Amino acid sequence: MQSVKEEAVPRPVQRIASRAVDVAKVYGAGSTAVRALDGVDMEFETGKYAAIMGPSGSGKSTLLQCLAGLDQVTSGVIYLGDVDVTSLNEKHRTMLRRDKIGFIFQSFNLIPSLTAKENITLPMDLARRKPDAEWLDGLLDIVGLKDRLRHHPSELSGGEQQRVAAARALASRPEIVFADEPTGNLDSKRGGEMLAFMRRAVKEFGQTIIMVTHDPIAASYSDQVVFLEDGKIVDLMEGPTVEKVLDRMKTLES
Amino acid sequence: MWRTTVKGLMAHKLRLALTALAVVLGVGFIGGTYVLTDTINKSFDELFADTTQGVDVFVRSDTAFESQNASGSGDREAMPEEVLETVQGVDGVDTATGSVGGYAQLVDKEGEAIAPQGPPTLGFGYPDDETTENEDSAVTMRAGREPATSDEVMIDAATAEDHDFSVGDSVDVLFEGPKRTFEVVGIIGFGEADNLAGATLAVFELEAAQELFNKEGTLDSIEVTAEEDVSPGELRNRIATAVPDGIEAQTGDYIADEQSDSVQEALGFFNTALLVFGFISLFVGAFIIFNTFSIVVAQRTREFGLLRAMGASGRQILGSVLVESVIVGFLASLVGLVAGFGIAAGLQAMLRVFGLDLPSTGLVFEPRTAIIGLTVGVLVTLISAIGPARRASRISPMAALREASPQQATFSRKRLLVGASVTLIGAAILGAGLFVSLDNAVSYVGLGAAVIFFGVTALSPLFAEPLARAIGAPIQALLNVPGKLARQNSRRNPKRTASTAAALMIGLALVSMVSIFAASIKATSSRILDENLKADFIITSSAGGGFGGFSPEIAAGAAEQHEIGAVAAVRYGEFRLDGASRFLSATDPDTIEEVTSLGVVEGDVGDLDGGGVFLSTDVAESEALTVGDDLTMEFPADGKTDVPVDGIFETTDIVGSDFLVSLDTYAEQYTTNLDSVVLATVASGVSTDDARAAIDTATSDFPNVTVENQAEFKETQAGLVDQLLGLITALLALALVIALLGITNTLALSVFERTRELGLLRAVGMSRRQARSMIRWESVIIAVIGAVLGLVVGGVFGWALVTSLADEGISEFAVPTGQLIAYVVAAGAAGIVAAIPPARRAARLNVLEAIATE
Repeated sequence: MQSVKEEAVPRPVQRIASRAVDVAKVYGAGSTAVRALDGVDMEFETGKYAAIMGPSGSGKSTLLQCLAGLDQVTSGVIYLGDVDVTSLNEKHRTMLRRDKIGFIFQSFNLIPSLTAKENITLPMDLARRKPDAEWLDGLLDIVGLKDRLRHHPSELSGGEQQRVAAARALASRPEIVFADEPTGNLDSKRGGEMLAFMRRAVKEFGQTIIMVTHDPIAASYSDQVVFLEDGKIVDLMEGPTVEKVLDRMKTLES
Repeated sequence: MWRTTVKGLMAHKLRLALTALAVVLGVGFIGGTYVLTDTINKSFDELFADTTQGVDVFVRSDTAFESQNASGSGDREAMPEEVLETVQGVDGVDTATGSVGGYAQLVDKEGEAIAPQGPPTLGFGYPDDETTENEDSAVTMRAGREPATSDEVMIDAATAEDHDFSVGDSVDVLFEGPKRTFEVVGIIGFGEADNLAGATLAVFELEAAQELFNKEGTLDSIEVTAEEDVSPGELRNRIATAVPDGIEAQTGDYIADEQSDSVQEALGFFNTALLVFGFISLFVGAFIIFNTFSIVVAQRTREFGLLRAMGASGRQILGSVLVESVIVGFLASLVGLVAGFGIAAGLQAMLRVFGLDLPSTGLVFEPRTAIIGLTVGVLVTLISAIGPARRASRISPMAALREASPQQATFSRKRLLVGASVTLIGAAILGAGLFVSLDNAVSYVGLGAAVIFFGVTALSPLFAEPLARAIGAPIQALLNVPGKLARQNSRRNPKRTASTAAALMIGLALVSMVSIFAASIKATSSRILDENLKADFIITSSAGGGFGGFSPEIAAGAAEQHEIGAVAAVRYGEFRLDGASRFLSATDPDTIEEVTSLGVVEGDVGDLDGGGVFLSTDVAESEALTVGDDLTMEFPADGKTDVPVDGIFETTDIVGSDFLVSLDTYAEQYTTNLDSVVLATVASGVSTDDARAAIDTATSDFPNVTVENQAEFKETQAGLVDQLLGLITALLALALVIALLGITNTLALSVFERTRELGLLRAVGMSRRQARSMIRWESVIIAVIGAVLGLVVGGVFGWALVTSLADEGISEFAVPTGQLIAYVVAAGAAGIVAAIPPARRAARLNVLEAIATE
């Protein structure tokens, strides 16, 4: 493989941001065991926007959670950059999430008692690190929330809340952002704005994003779509369009 | 509906357990109190039945009432020895044995006086070989024989064991007269028991005892056994007609009942005092129950909405919550009653630590204990649940469809109005109890305080927000995000924070009130001593708390020392005024004014030699008496006697009562003459050290007294107040523990409620440590809010209490600032402990499950 050859060459940024090596995830045991992930091998390149798609129960959220170190695999290895996530203990995985990973969930992304600004800087505050003021400022310009920073989540619209979540995910300049159905709770207009913003982050800052979605429109914003079925990767699609994704999904679900 | 209720209960075992714990502890304390007092009662009953066993009739002098003397035993006039012959001559009398009793205190081998805390130190004199001759008697010879000569003594087995005395040893004994040395010739027990309710016993040969107790030619009582065919009642009647006036005959059963009645009366107060603490605990528990049910109802809004949507009526929902509360209350009360046994044992141990040694046999459980415990426990739980249940019943079916997040509580104007009015009403009731003389002042004070607690609790959400902000500020500054979140969380639902803190507020209000009261008493006593006491040395009994009497020989011996100036002894006696028990002080009229100021308003203290009485200004006013009038005092010996009022004095604190008579007058009315305090000055031109040496010499024979200078005496007095404060605080500790459980409970429920939020925090990088710290500091904030509110309320209570007692002589209002600050710090520390379980739970939360929670 290409990556193996290049591993010896030192470089400032890993070419592969996230890697799954023969990953399996089994829930339960014996006859009731469910193989949510069944031998997944995948590399996600740095600076790319990847989407994971698949029917319900295909294991797409499980894969994301394993890649992010939120969940533990049954077998196989997960790398984040060159760090073996599967060998880390809970404390170090916490550090990893705090320092190297950004998260965007479908809903309930924000702490209600903190303001938008406090939510955005939360991971860095937890680490007692000072945010990069210039970066943050630029980020807030793009997100377009400068006048809403002192508001609490309950005072923000759903779209604004997701944008705050996106800003938080990017604020600490993480190596990778994991997004789990980030537009699932938004109408199509707000969803479009959100996706455009994420696209822009990839394009302008070289941010790596891995997103789980079931929405072909959302997937069409990505560089690469990974199709999952029954815990196995069944297809890869570079340069997806809505139509192509729709077609592929139809064959998957039938 | 019934099934849902039971299922709901089973599904939330932790919640159930935590709610129940508050009831368990409260009911446990109340049950424990009853078990303890019933147990003590029973053991006394058995004891008195034992001691009068085998005696059919008692003959003794007839008194108006039995007073307690300074050594802790009953004081009754002796009767002439001739009565014994009269009794022996009565038809139907098998045996009749005369005896005398009096104060006799044993000294142990280290030279320390043996002083049981509470029970008396008794001496008896019996004719040779008659003590155990009666086969039915409870007295059993454990070792040796009975005393036959005037230098032999027989002691109780408990004292012998505790102080390592055996037959053949010599022992020093203290009396009203000089100290004497005896040989221990016998050791006795009472059936199974080693002593009589903790009293120490010294039994002498009758004639020796008569001399030792200054009772030559007299007897205190005659124990009679009947011939076989004569009933005790019949024999009592026959003896009663035979003996002269002023002598009475009673059956053995009557005497046993009389003794246990007097013990029960004393225990009644003790029982009530303990119950008060039990009810305070339950009162605090009620807040916890209310809180838990409120939170749970809020969290189950969706569930109740669904039930409503499916056709359950509001009444059914109400019923469901109330039934849940009754089940919880009942189960918790049952557990509480079981816990009561442990608490009874614990209370007993605690009282022993504080110097109250009470005898006990196996624990006694009366049905009454169960009935009261269950009723109170269930009622408190039910009443606490009514408010939350009504709120649940008003949840609309629409709630099932809405987002489930519990609503932010808002502070309504109505609440402000209601809270303020309730507080004011409480203050009015409290004020009435304290400042207006009412029949049942204590009940008013208690009710007023309870109402104020409700009012302040209703108002407390108003204070909770700013307090949380203020208390949280340094925590946030110090701890960054966890601190900030702790602060924000405590402000998020001020109503919940406030009612959780309120439970702690009650406990701390009471503790700080008592502390202020104690500090004020100390300040007052210190000032009074400074202003009035002229004596350089104060001699008091070394028995616990300075109570107990000692021989007048000490005062006499001190007066003989030429290094000592004036000496005045003070002793106390019980008498009755208009049927009510009062105490008088007796002293030497010639010297008392040299050792202390009496603040004489009218009259000359020296006139007391004529047999009159000095009254305090308060009594003179309330009885409308002036110098020259007569006061009708009822004495144990002479009954009602008109005593001329010789003068009026202001400073009652040092002589210790509102009535002052001479020692001669005292001797005429009471059989036992023991001093309680001796005040002495240094003779002019003598150094304090020399005087101290002289007074130590004068008291060297009497290890039962302590000599102190003014500074030492003051410290001892303060120590007594502190000891009482410690006892009350220890009893209030239960209420404090329950309040802390409330914090644990609220936080556990909050953690459960914020599962998703915690999951998110953990996902974005909050460490377990930080999660724990966040919960911990939220707990500290709640606890400190409770402490601060408690200090404020307790401060007001303390001030009101001290002010209302200004007439009773508490003239100083002192605030023990350091102590109060320590309480707040302790509350914060306790908050950390209370947070341990919920913090652990928050930290252990599975991140994935948490963020997946709907």
